[in-house]
Amino acid sequence: MVEKSLYIFSNGELKRKDNTLFFETTEGKKFIPITTVREIFLFGEVTFNSKVLDFLSQQQALVHYFNHYGYYSGTMYPRERIVSGDMILRQAEHYLDTSRRVAIAQRFVQGAAQNLRRVLKYYQGRGRDVENPLDKIESLIPSVSSYDDVNQLMAIEGNIREAYYQAFNSILSNAYFRFEGRTKRPPKSPLNALISFGNSMLYTTVLSEIYKTHLDPRIGYLHATNFRRFTLNLDVAEIFKPILVDRIIFSMIDKGMLKASHFVKASEGIFLNDAGRGAFVKQWDERLQQTIQVRELGRSVSYRRLIRMELYKLEKHLLEEKVYVPFAARW
Amino acid sequence: MFVIVMYDVHVKRVAKVLKTCRRYLYWVQNSVLEGEISKADFAALKRELAEIISPDHDSVLFYTFRTTRYTSRESIGIQKGGEDRFL
Amino acid sequence: MADTVPDEVHVTGTLVWYYHVCPREAWLMSRQLTPDEEDDNIRIGRLIHEESYVRFAREVTTAAGKMDRLVRRDGQWVVYEVKKSSRHEVSARMQLLYYLLQLHEDGVEAVGELHFPEERRVVRVTLGPSEMCEIQNTVKEIQTLMSQPLPPPPKRIPVCRQCAYAEFCWA
Repeated sequence: MVEKSLYIFSNGELKRKDNTLFFETTEGKKFIPITTVREIFLFGEVTFNSKVLDFLSQQQALVHYFNHYGYYSGTMYPRERIVSGDMILRQAEHYLDTSRRVAIAQRFVQGAAQNLRRVLKYYQGRGRDVENPLDKIESLIPSVSSYDDVNQLMAIEGNIREAYYQAFNSILSNAYFRFEGRTKRPPKSPLNALISFGNSMLYTTVLSEIYKTHLDPRIGYLHATNFRRFTLNLDVAEIFKPILVDRIIFSMIDKGMLKASHFVKASEGIFLNDAGRGAFVKQWDERLQQTIQVRELGRSVSYRRLIRMELYKLEKHLLEEKVYVPFAARW
Repeated sequence: MFVIVMYDVHVKRVAKVLKTCRRYLYWVQNSVLEGEISKADFAALKRELAEIISPDHDSVLFYTFRTTRYTSRESIGIQKGGEDRFL
Repeated sequence: MADTVPDEVHVTGTLVWYYHVCPREAWLMSRQLTPDEEDDNIRIGRLIHEESYVRFAREVTTAAGKMDRLVRRDGQWVVYEVKKSSRHEVSARMQLLYYLLQLHEDGVEAVGELHFPEERRVVRVTLGPSEMCEIQNTVKEIQTLMSQPLPPPPKRIPVCRQCAYAEFCWA
């Protein structure tokens, strides 16, 4: 199945024409083969009418839209095609029963911590001094299983991340990307702007994958569910942040692919501009298409598909067929 | 798989063939489209085209590649089209 | 814990087919845990299905599921079942026998025809006493399997390579 993402940075109009997609700007026109589009990211100012929305829903394509600063504003999530009442009941059951909810939330925290540790190990292997943060994370990991309250789990997860951030200035030697604490809404440094933007790309990507499963994105376990917004994607994203988002950020900075000219200062914060977002998104798209070997399956799958398989593992946990073991990166 | 489609059809049927191809592939230049396509979509595309063309007068060629890209593509002159997912 | 075993396992022809291809797949199907719809093989199967319809008119929906076609020919009711390939001929035969059994229980004596349009092959299937026994036992087995709270564990079989559930089973 060919499923590709379409990223629109220019301002223009998206139309339905001859049963396919058509994007028109002042510079030109382009047809996009609808059968290959699974999700569209809108960064520019794009107008489209309800006919286009209806068409995209029929094609089961999601639309993620971002505001002028690259903040994620929302997703057009078409009505699900594959629904299993049985699965939704189980999902809710595991949420309502505190001990079951905690069991899943713990695994998300452990899985995230394992992959954070893996990233630091990798940089330790390349001669960076990350020993203190690494020791701290390793001492915190075993304690996760002793917490039986979701708020405490969120707190410990915060502590683990805090330790991880301590390593950033050892990993990155570029002064422009110095790290002085995590700031969000608005991010107050270029590195924070990158982390925020990268994370929102991951949240939306996980959401697109949830759409292809029987899970309801509104029921999460670690992040508080309030049934008004998507939370399950935030949970699953924790597992993949270190290996997808952070690794891209580090390698782009390392290779000098990101410069001061990619950022813009505005309304109290610092944000990526179009060129910066474009550069990141190109790497992001490539990364998701990269494949890794999955032994149990006997073949390679892309990182994007790996996210899907993580959701399948969660489904099997909810069916009580097989306990969920989060994906652990091996390098 | 990756596919390159070239068509040589009667002027009366050109528009219809082009419209059909555009739903599956990226337009490259006159009468040529290309792109990554799934086996099922490729089967569907061939079926749709077979219903449009006149088997006695028209011709459509499909070059298929097992990988998702060709080894290289060189061109002289302007670049008219091709896959672009970053607009 | 909600008892998520379906109240009454509704056996359909499709379920009979899946049961013979892979019991685990049948269990998942019975819980509406349909695989990723976009799997290539599923879509190609559907295309062939649609194509055969250009020749084969409309499908017939009964309590037993969707029969590809039921016609009266030379004073005899004939059920058609159209398949992509004869690789799962055994499963297809059981599916057809199930339709014949359903019709028999409704008081209609019919014969079946398996069509493999890609191979230009037709196989005739009839419901005799031994086939009756065979299909009735199969239905009992399916009902037993479906009432289990868990699916049978995944087994590696040749079909896995082409199966839309593979990533689910082996994740």
